[in-house]
Amino acid sequence: MSAFVRGLMDFVLPTHLLAIVALGLLAGQHAARFPLLALAELAAGLLVGSFAIAMGLGENPAATALLALAGACAAGVIAAWPIPMPIIGLLGFAIGIALALNAPPKEITRASALAAQAGLAVAALVAFAVVAAIVMRTTHAWQRIGVRIIAAWIAASAILVLALRWVTALRA
Amino acid sequence: MRRLAGALILCVAASPALAHDVEGTGGFLAGLAHPVLGLDHVVAMVAVGLWGAFLGPPAIVLLPIVFPLVMAFGGVLGILGLPLPATEIGIAVSAIVLGLMVLGAARPPIWAAALLVGTFAIFHGYAHGRELPDDANAVAFAAGFVIATGLLHLAGIAFGLLTRWPAGRIAVRTAGAGIALVGVGYLGGML
Repeated sequence: MSAFVRGLMDFVLPTHLLAIVALGLLAGQHAARFPLLALAELAAGLLVGSFAIAMGLGENPAATALLALAGACAAGVIAAWPIPMPIIGLLGFAIGIALALNAPPKEITRASALAAQAGLAVAALVAFAVVAAIVMRTTHAWQRIGVRIIAAWIAASAILVLALRWVTALRA
Repeated sequence: MRRLAGALILCVAASPALAHDVEGTGGFLAGLAHPVLGLDHVVAMVAVGLWGAFLGPPAIVLLPIVFPLVMAFGGVLGILGLPLPATEIGIAVSAIVLGLMVLGAARPPIWAAALLVGTFAIFHGYAHGRELPDDANAVAFAAGFVIATGLLHLAGIAFGLLTRWPAGRIAVRTAGAGIALVGVGYLGGML
């Protein structure tokens, strides 16, 4: 398996999926046109996170941050309040950084590490774009409600795991 | 051939592991299976959907959004280890009460319905929260059981749509009676 494919596979973790789907739901719900700004901010975040990994950043709370960001995005979708796209972009930027930090490449050479990070970034950007595009095309009321139900599931999952992590950290 | 037949008989005769206990197994599929393995959870979740169909809008759309969030709050109580007395009794009572609401086609004010369902959601969430695996699969497990709970609601709502027809109303109300009976069975220790 090539380093790029391993990077793609690294994206398929529940924490990553929750965060990217929540961001996609939020951006799609609030966008009249395809949310290019959020996509660009997500890409920039992934780049910054990868750079931090390359600089040798070690242990970090990226997984917890991803869950918190997923919960925040999901809360925005459930509330369905008008959220300015720059704020959604900022959430995307933060998710991009946390995502890259949470999936450090296990490759030895610089080239294969870059390929792995590229694979992760491509998977994240495509997943975000697909979710946002689908949500943007929801026109019926029941479809809009369905989007909010999925967000409620994401928020509930994030709340539960954040509580578990908090309790585990307290007990350690 | 005789050995094969014997093995097949053993497979058929063996009682399936239907206990509501997947502690420590983690993973999305385990989480997905978790609410489904407890009949008391299943009937209560379906009853929420059925009742939502009787209540109509906005309850029918509000309940599947509010329930997972309140359930998560109950789950946090369970994770924190805070005492919640008579959890299993609360779950059994939820099946009885929600079943009776469906049987009686009750239409209380939306706030009263939300309060009742929310109270029971805490009991269900607490039970799930206590069994959340403390490992790397916690996220997948939590997502799995939240989605399974939501799908049970949606199944209830889908079945509840039969209330548009007179025969369907009878079928749904009969299902409510069955759900209440299952709750009585759990409360009486028969199930």
